[in-house]
Amino acid sequence: MATYHQEGQMQLPRADAIRSRLIDTFSLIEHLQGLSQAVPRHTVRELLDPSRQKKLMWEDQQQLVRFSVKPQHTGQISQAQRLLSKLHIRCSQRPPLSLWAGWVLECPLFTNFIIFLIILNTIVLMVEIELLESTNTKLWPLKLTLEVAAWFILFIFILEIILMWLSSFSRFWKSAWNVFDFVVTMLSLLPEVVLLAGVTGQPVWLQFLRICRVLRSLKLFARFRQIRVIILALVRALKSMTFLLMLLLIFFYIFAVAGVYFFAEYTRSPRQDLEYHMFFSDLLNSLVTVFILFTLDHWYALLQDVWKVSEVSRIFSSIYVILWLLLGSIIFRNIIVAMMVTNFQNIRKELNEEMAHREVQVKADMFKRQIIQRRKNVSHEALKSTHGKTDDSSRGAIQQKESSDLSEVSEVESVYEATEADVVTSASKPEETLSEKKEYQSSSSVFSTSSSSTSSSESRFSESVGHLDWETLVHENLPGLMEMDQDDRVWPRDSLFRYFELLEKLQYNLEERKKLQEFAVQALMNLEDK
Amino acid sequence: MMALVSLMWRKDDEFRAFVKRVTMSDFFKIIMISAVGSNAFFTALWTSYEIRYRLFRLLELSEFFFVSICTSELAMKIYVDSTGYWKDGYNILDVVIFIIMFLPYIFRKLLGKQFIYLHIADGIQSLRILKLISYSRGIRTMITAVGQTVYTVASVLLLLFLLMYIFGVLGFCLFGSPDTGDYDNWGNLAVAFFTLFSLATVDGWTDLQKQLDNRSFALSRAFTIVFILLAAFIFLNMFVGVMIMHTEDSIKKFERELMLERKMTIMEEKQVILQRQQEEVSRLMHMQKNADCKSFSELVENFKKTLRHTDPMVLDDFGTSLPFIDIYFSTLDYQDMTIHKLQELYYEIAHVLGLMLEDLPQKKPQSLEEVDEK
Repeated sequence: MATYHQEGQMQLPRADAIRSRLIDTFSLIEHLQGLSQAVPRHTVRELLDPSRQKKLMWEDQQQLVRFSVKPQHTGQISQAQRLLSKLHIRCSQRPPLSLWAGWVLECPLFTNFIIFLIILNTIVLMVEIELLESTNTKLWPLKLTLEVAAWFILFIFILEIILMWLSSFSRFWKSAWNVFDFVVTMLSLLPEVVLLAGVTGQPVWLQFLRICRVLRSLKLFARFRQIRVIILALVRALKSMTFLLMLLLIFFYIFAVAGVYFFAEYTRSPRQDLEYHMFFSDLLNSLVTVFILFTLDHWYALLQDVWKVSEVSRIFSSIYVILWLLLGSIIFRNIIVAMMVTNFQNIRKELNEEMAHREVQVKADMFKRQIIQRRKNVSHEALKSTHGKTDDSSRGAIQQKESSDLSEVSEVESVYEATEADVVTSASKPEETLSEKKEYQSSSSVFSTSSSSTSSSESRFSESVGHLDWETLVHENLPGLMEMDQDDRVWPRDSLFRYFELLEKLQYNLEERKKLQEFAVQALMNLEDK
Repeated sequence: MMALVSLMWRKDDEFRAFVKRVTMSDFFKIIMISAVGSNAFFTALWTSYEIRYRLFRLLELSEFFFVSICTSELAMKIYVDSTGYWKDGYNILDVVIFIIMFLPYIFRKLLGKQFIYLHIADGIQSLRILKLISYSRGIRTMITAVGQTVYTVASVLLLLFLLMYIFGVLGFCLFGSPDTGDYDNWGNLAVAFFTLFSLATVDGWTDLQKQLDNRSFALSRAFTIVFILLAAFIFLNMFVGVMIMHTEDSIKKFERELMLERKMTIMEEKQVILQRQQEEVSRLMHMQKNADCKSFSELVENFKKTLRHTDPMVLDDFGTSLPFIDIYFSTLDYQDMTIHKLQELYYEIAHVLGLMLEDLPQKKPQSLEEVDEK
């Protein structure tokens, strides 16, 4: 490692990181090893640009192209867009049926029509139930229309499901809302089919029929976004509490089985005046009784009833009941409440993240404009101060604090490579690609570690009244700036090389200046001592 | 003697390692989980007399198997590590369940079949299912998370107990005299406690209140209502608040630890890769045929000559973008300004100190003169 740095040069992690970035960008290692062929010389722009593409095709067609992939916030990609990008669909003569089905399903007219039908279904049901027992013959046409309307609505629902199947069969089953829709529709279809098939109308089936028609109103839940969000939040909260509920079930089991044994004397007692005699008779009853105790209902009456039998030991029965009350209904119930509350808070935070992201982007945009303006102002001021003396009294004493300016700059550099992943379209070097990718990330890590090691004895620059501190401003807006969708920056190659070289030299120079500063301070201190 | 024992242990090392591997293996865990699960199921079946009558042999056999599996597991784990065994809470739970398993048998043998507490010993067997907890990581993490709230829970319970004690003694004195008072519910301290607990969980308290009303006690309503407000509304809901606080804290701590761990591992990986790259470059420089490649820049001289200005290089990372350059230059400009100001201050200080130095020698002869005069 001795030859990596110049003789007598200090080791700066930041400079090392810049150099390693240089090596990666230009694939120097491959060049120095004589493998210039395996380095990509062209970029995607040359492929997409028709004039350059032609020139490229005329040359040797075994060239390598460098891709850079950056995650972009494009939002939702709809199924229709996905279908349209597929090759065999673009090349076919007629658009596929699934595209049309998808279009129909997304069409607002259709969705509103379905909502209207669901509401109509509910009204029809209500009217039908009212008229069920009435034998008024004049209402017979009304009954007929209601029946026809119900069948028609069912038919439309089945049609909608078929449309969804047409649009994309496998995607239908992945969404839980669709599965729910399907189950509800099939359930309401079943009794009608059975009735038609000739099974004589037992009143049970008719009631089942009515109930299943009511279930169709549940389809409304899937249509409205707000209800969906609430139900999703509930499901997520329940999911995170699965282990708690499992533990609760285990405790239910323990106390139920123990209850059967503990109160065996109570169950076998021949007394006639016991109200809760059968409550601990076998396992199922015991389970129900444990649940009753869990809801704190009539527990003292139960206990007093148990005490009536003299063979039952009072101590153990009261220990059992009190222990279960404390553990189950007081402690466990409150744990469940606490977990639900924390989960709901987390879910609300996550739902707001999307909005927060957009806000950050807007702020970053404003910040960008501010920087450019500020640079113009600062360069004017710098010119002025070098020519004349400025009033330093307002600056106060020298404050030898750590420079946060430098640290924030290093933070900025620390995400040098965080958003880039290079994919070299060459099958012959998969490992090198991986190592390159990791090298990018490694340089970023070095930057972040260097932020703690670099320190300078520069005082804080306090802005004039009315502006925020420069570094706090940068700190706040940095993440947003980094995530902003940048246009591709096109650099000429030798300028880029020079830029990296100069940046590295700059780091060394800054370090030297800092050392000189420290020498000056030392000299000053020594002067005082005499 | 000790030397013999230590010699024996040393020879046992391989066997101990083998047994340890067996107890840690997945197969063993599956056996344990299935044994405990099936035993729990059979214990549930055992409660019903009919099923017990019909499947007696099967149930007895499964019981026998379960006891033997438990005993052997306990023996193996103690054999592997006798001192460290007792530090883990779940192992202590195993030992307790082991003792509980043998209780009915011991009672039957020692104290005869008519021992009144025999069915209680039978009932406690349902605790065996708690062995399952140690095999499920989710429940374990949850218990550790909840377990941290134990101290607060215990202190709240203690406060509640104290409150009940105060009100119990008060109630006993007010309502508990054998002839004019409500002896059944407030006669002795234990019954008074039960009555108060019933009031605290607001279940059936109107009946108790009616009984007090029948004896026409003056303060009974005020007493009951004050106690219900304190215990049921304030204390028992304090529970909820305390739990919410702790759950939030523990979840946040857990997430923070997770993030920290992830960051540390990523940083270490990156460091390793950076090292490797540097070694690669220095190796290349060693390997160069030309002898005058002393520095990196000379190494890449040839490469630099191949770079043309018209070749575009597309980069879209933040470090080579214009906003970054703008920010960096602004920051550097600020730094320059502050250093400049610092230097001016240094000049001033040096100037002032120089002036002071000039003044000093004049002061010295003056003081000497004064001393002489004195």
